[in-house]
Amino acid sequence: MKKRDSAKGARYGMVIDLDRCTGCGTCTIACAAENNVSVLYDESDKTRNINWLKIYMLTNGKAFPHTEVVYLPRPCMQCGNPPCVPVCPATATTNDSDDGIVSQIYTRCIGCRYCMAACPYHARDFNWFDPAFPKGMDRYLSPEVSPRMRGVVEKCSFCHHRLMSAKSKAYFEGRRDLREDEYIPACVEACPTQAITFGDLNNPKHRVSELIKNPSAFRLLERLGTEPKVYYLTTKDWMRRMADNYLQGESKKEGNRPEKKNG
Amino acid sequence: MEFSRRNFIKFFAGGIGGTLVSPLPWKLIDDIAIWTQNWSWVPLPGRGKFSTVNSVCTLCSGGCGIEVRKVGNRVVKIEGRRNYPVNQGALCPLGMAGQQILYNEGIRWKAPMKRVGPRGSQEWEEITWDEALNGLATKIRGLRNEGNPEKLAGIDGNHSRSTVALLIKRLFDAIGSPNYLGMPREEDTHAMAAFLMQGTNGPVAYDLENSDFILSFGCPLLDGWGAPGRMMSAWGQVAGDKPSTRPFLAHIDQRASRTALKADQWLAPFPGTEAALAMGIAHVLIREKRYSKEFVDDCTFGFADWFDAQGHGHKGFANIVLKKYSPQIVENITGIKKSIVIELARRFASSHAPIALTGRGKGLLPGSVYEFMAVHALNALAGRINKSGGVLVAHDLPLAPWPDAEYDTVATDGLKRERLDRAGTPRYPFTRSLIHTFSEAVNSSQSSPVDILLISSANPVFTIPDSKSLIEALDKIPFIVSFSPFKDETSLMADLILPDHTYLEKMEDVPRPTGVQYPLFALSQPAVKPLYRTRHSGDVIISLAQRIGGTIAESFQWNSFEETLKGRVKGLYQLGQGQIAYDGSEPVWKRLDKKSGLTPVYSSFESMWEALRETGCWYVPSHTFGTWSEIFQTPSKKFEFFSSNIELALKTYSKGKSLDDALADVGILARGDEVYMPHYEELKSRADEKEYPLLLVPIELINLASGWIGNPPFLNKTLFDHQLRKDDLFVEVNPKTASTHGLQEGSKAVLKSRTGELTVRVHVFHGAMPGVVFIPLGLGHTAYDRYLKGKGVNPYEIIDPTEDPLSGQSVWWNTRVTMVKI
Ligand code: SF4
Ligand code: SF4
Ligand code: SF4
Repeated sequence: MKKRDSAKGARYGMVIDLDRCTGCGTCTIACAAENNVSVLYDESDKTRNINWLKIYMLTNGKAFPHTEVVYLPRPCMQCGNPPCVPVCPATATTNDSDDGIVSQIYTRCIGCRYCMAACPYHARDFNWFDPAFPKGMDRYLSPEVSPRMRGVVEKCSFCHHRLMSAKSKAYFEGRRDLREDEYIPACVEACPTQAITFGDLNNPKHRVSELIKNPSAFRLLERLGTEPKVYYLTTKDWMRRMADNYLQGESKKEGNRPEKKNG
Repeated sequence: MEFSRRNFIKFFAGGIGGTLVSPLPWKLIDDIAIWTQNWSWVPLPGRGKFSTVNSVCTLCSGGCGIEVRKVGNRVVKIEGRRNYPVNQGALCPLGMAGQQILYNEGIRWKAPMKRVGPRGSQEWEEITWDEALNGLATKIRGLRNEGNPEKLAGIDGNHSRSTVALLIKRLFDAIGSPNYLGMPREEDTHAMAAFLMQGTNGPVAYDLENSDFILSFGCPLLDGWGAPGRMMSAWGQVAGDKPSTRPFLAHIDQRASRTALKADQWLAPFPGTEAALAMGIAHVLIREKRYSKEFVDDCTFGFADWFDAQGHGHKGFANIVLKKYSPQIVENITGIKKSIVIELARRFASSHAPIALTGRGKGLLPGSVYEFMAVHALNALAGRINKSGGVLVAHDLPLAPWPDAEYDTVATDGLKRERLDRAGTPRYPFTRSLIHTFSEAVNSSQSSPVDILLISSANPVFTIPDSKSLIEALDKIPFIVSFSPFKDETSLMADLILPDHTYLEKMEDVPRPTGVQYPLFALSQPAVKPLYRTRHSGDVIISLAQRIGGTIAESFQWNSFEETLKGRVKGLYQLGQGQIAYDGSEPVWKRLDKKSGLTPVYSSFESMWEALRETGCWYVPSHTFGTWSEIFQTPSKKFEFFSSNIELALKTYSKGKSLDDALADVGILARGDEVYMPHYEELKSRADEKEYPLLLVPIELINLASGWIGNPPFLNKTLFDHQLRKDDLFVEVNPKTASTHGLQEGSKAVLKSRTGELTVRVHVFHGAMPGVVFIPLGLGHTAYDRYLKGKGVNPYEIIDPTEDPLSGQSVWWNTRVTMVKI
C-alpha cells in the first residue's frame, strides 16, 4: 500500500450525546471485555482500578426536585495535540500514525507515569498490581488484545485492533478506504441507547463530521489546546459550563459557546 | 595495523559513536522492558478459530438477542444482536458481563454435592448424579408412601411461563403437592390488577413505542424495568428527535433516577401516594368530561351509580372519585400541586395516544394491587385499552399443551390439601404464591410441615424482604435441595446440590419477554459445552420423575428437556403464522396493525425448528385488537371499575364473620363500594413515625445486579465511589435531611428500623426526596467470592414489610428508620 501523507489520513473521533446517555455503564463493561481489562477485588479504589472508559456523574446542584444529573462517559480523548506524548522518555506513547490514534506501547512503557501526570483528562491508568482475573476468568480473555503487566500504563486505544482487522479485511478485498460502519469501537457498538457515534472527522460524509457542527457540540477543557477528538453534545448549559475551568470572575464567554443571556 | 595510542583513541571514540548510532543499546533497553514485563503472571489468551453463536440472554426475562463471540471453544465476549426484534442491538450492563458468570470458578458448583458436615459448615462431598437423583427420588417416594406428598415444597424463580417452570409445576402436581411457590414478581401484581378489572390472564403488553404521552407511575423504564434491552433501544430511537415529535414522558419518582432524569416532566409525590395522584387525574377527567364516553358507556361496569339484583343501590366510580379525590385533596395527600394535577390530566386527555403505566424495579418487586388498578383506571377512562399505543390485551402464546399429567390417589388427595402459604385460599384469593406466609406456616408449627424443599433459579435468602423468617424456616426444614449453579446464600444452606448449567451452557425459552407488546418466543442456545459436571434442571426434573416411578414417571414420558420444549413449539408452527427472522430494518412495533408479514417462510415443523434454533426468535408482527365483547372476561363481560371478583371473594371470606372483620383481616381500610374499586389506601408502617422519622426506600440500579444472579466484577467498575467505597455502601440523602441529622458527605451512620440495623455511609444528593433514605439493592452478600462477598449491606436485613391489602404481598417500600451518625 502506498504510504499516505498523515495530514490526509483519517482522523478518527467520537461524538457522545449526553442528552441520550443514561449512564448505564454498558460501554465501560463492553470496553473492559473487549480489551482484557483486569478487575480488582476493590474496584471502588478509583486511584488503583482500571477503567479505560470511566463514567462521571455531574449534577447541577439545584434543590430537589429541580436536580439534574448528567452522566459523562470519558474514554481517552485521543487528543490531536496530546500532552502525554512528548513527556514519555521511552517513546511508549505516540501520535504519529495516519489514523490520529494516540498509541500506548506496553512493552516499551517503563512505568514512570509522566504521561498520567500530563493527561488533563485522567484517561490513563497504571497497573499497580499483577493483572488479576477472578479464578477461571482468564478463560474469556481475547487474543486480539494483549493483557498488560504490572508496572505499565494503559488507556483507551479506540479499539485499535478493530481498526487493524478492518484494514486487513479491506486490504484483502483490494480496497484502500474503510466504510463508515467497518470500524466501530466496542463501546460505540455496545451503547444500548446509541449515544455514541464514531467515524473519521476528516471525512465530511461521516456522521461525526456533521454532528460536531451542531451548536451544542463541545469538548472537555478546550482552552488547554489539546484538541480532543472526542466531542460531546448536550443542550444543558450548566453542563457545558462545567466542561472548562474558569477563574473566579473570569467571563465564561470564552467557552466555545456564548452563554445564554438568562442562563 | 599498528596499535598506537592515537589509533586506540580513535578506535575507542569511534566505538562510542558507533554504539550510539547503532540500534543495539536501544534494542537492549527494549529487551529489558520485555524481559521484566513478561512474567508468567501475565495471562496468555488462548488462540483458536473465531466464531459466533446466536442466542438469547436469559439472565432476566427481557429476552435480548445476543451474539456470543468465541475463540476456539471459549466465550470471549457477548454482544447485542441488531437483528433481534426485542432489543435491536441493545444489552444491559449485566448481559454485557455474562462471560464472568460463566467462567467465575469461585462462585460455581461443579458437580452434585451432598452436605457432610453440619449445616452451614460448608463441608461437602461430591457425588454422582445417579446417587443424587436416586436418593432424592427415594425420599419423595417415602413422603408419598406415608400419604404426605404435600410435605414436598418448592420455591421456583424461573419465569412462570417458561418450560422449566411448567415442568417443575407438573412434577409437583404429579407427586400431589400443592406447595409449589413462585418467587415474587412485579408481574403478579399486574396479573391481579388485569384479572380484577378485565378478567384476563395474559402477559403485560404496553405498546409504549406507539404512544405519544407516557405517564409512568414509578415505572423505572430506563432503570432496568421490563425488557431492559427493549426499553433502552426504544429510548435511543427517539432521544434524538425534537421534543415535539417524540413521546412526552411524565415520570413519577421520589428520586432522580435515570428515568426521572430523562423524563420531560418529573413529579415527586410522597412515597406510596401514587394511587391518590392517579385518582386525582381521574377526578379531573371525569369532572371535565374529558374521558372516552364511548368506551366508558359501552364497555365498562360500575362507572355510574347502579342497583344490584337485590335492589341495593351502589355508588359508581365517578361518584366516589368526584367526591373523594378533588385536586385539592390529592394535593394534600401527595404533595403535588393541584394545578399540576389538573394540567397533567388535561395533557393526558388531549394526547392522541396516552398510556398510564405502573411498575416496580426490575420485575422482582411486587407492587400494590389497588395502586395498579387506580393507574389502569386512567387507561380505561381515556379508552386506551387494547388500542395502538395503549395497554394491549395480550394472550399467552399458542404453545402446544402437554398431555395431561397422571394422578394416582395419593396425588389427588394431596392436591386437595390447603397450601401452606394460603395463596389462592379465601384469605389471599388472587395471589399465586406468598413466601412470607409460607415461612410463617413453617415457623409456627411444632415440627416442620415441609420435609423436602426444592429451590431452583432463586436466591430467596438474599432477595426477599422478609428473609429473616425464611432463614428460620429453612433451618427447620429437614432436607433442602438446591438446583442453583451458584454458591449463593440459599444454596449454601442446602443439603443436596443438583447444579444447573449457567445460561450460556443451555437451551431455555422466554415466552413473551416482559412487557413486549407482540407475541414473541425467545429461545436460547448453548454457546459452549457445559464446563463442569452440571445438568440442565429440565433434564433433572424429567429424570427425577422417572426415578420416582408410578404415575409420576408416566407423566414425564420424555427423553430430554429439549424434546419437551420442541413439543410445545409445535403449537407455534400449527398457528400457521409467524416470523423466525428479523432483518433489523423496520421495528416490529411499527407494523402491529398492518397485518403484513404474517405468512411464515417455513414449510415444515423441522425446518421451522432448525431456523428457530439459528435465530432464537419466533414472533407475530401484529396484534389482534378484537372487539370489546370478546376481550373482557369479567363476570359482567365488561371492564369493571367495580370488581365483581373482589366482591365475590370478600363474600366468601366474610362468611361467618362480619364484613368489617374480613376487611380488617385483609388489610383494607376503605369501606363501602370503594373496597371493590380502584382507590388510594394509605399503607401504614408498623413503626411509629415519631420514633422512626425517616423512610427507607430500596432502589434498584441498572448497573448493579440485585436478583438471583450475583453482581459480576465488571459491574463493580461502574459503581461510583459515592455508592460503594471499600466495603461501605452509601445511601442517598437529601442535603436538608442530612443537615437535620448532622450528616455530611461520607459520614458513617447507623440505620435502624424496628427489625434491625445496618451501618452505611451517606451520599448527600439533591436528587433524593427529603425525609427519605434511598438504599441500593444487590450488595451485602454473605456468599459468592471475594469480588462480591462482604461488600456493602443488604437492605432487606432491616426492611420491616407490611402486607399489601388484598394481595398480601410484601410491601418493601414503607420501612421507617432512624439514622444516627457514628
Ligand atoms: S452505554 Fe451508552 S447510555 Fe450507557 S453509559 Fe455508555 S454511553 Fe451512556
Ligand atoms: S474506544 Fe475501545 S478502548 Fe476506547 S473506550 Fe471505547 S471500547 Fe474502550
Ligand atoms: S436486559 Fe436482561 S436480557 Fe437483556 S442483556 Fe440485560 S439481563 Fe440480558
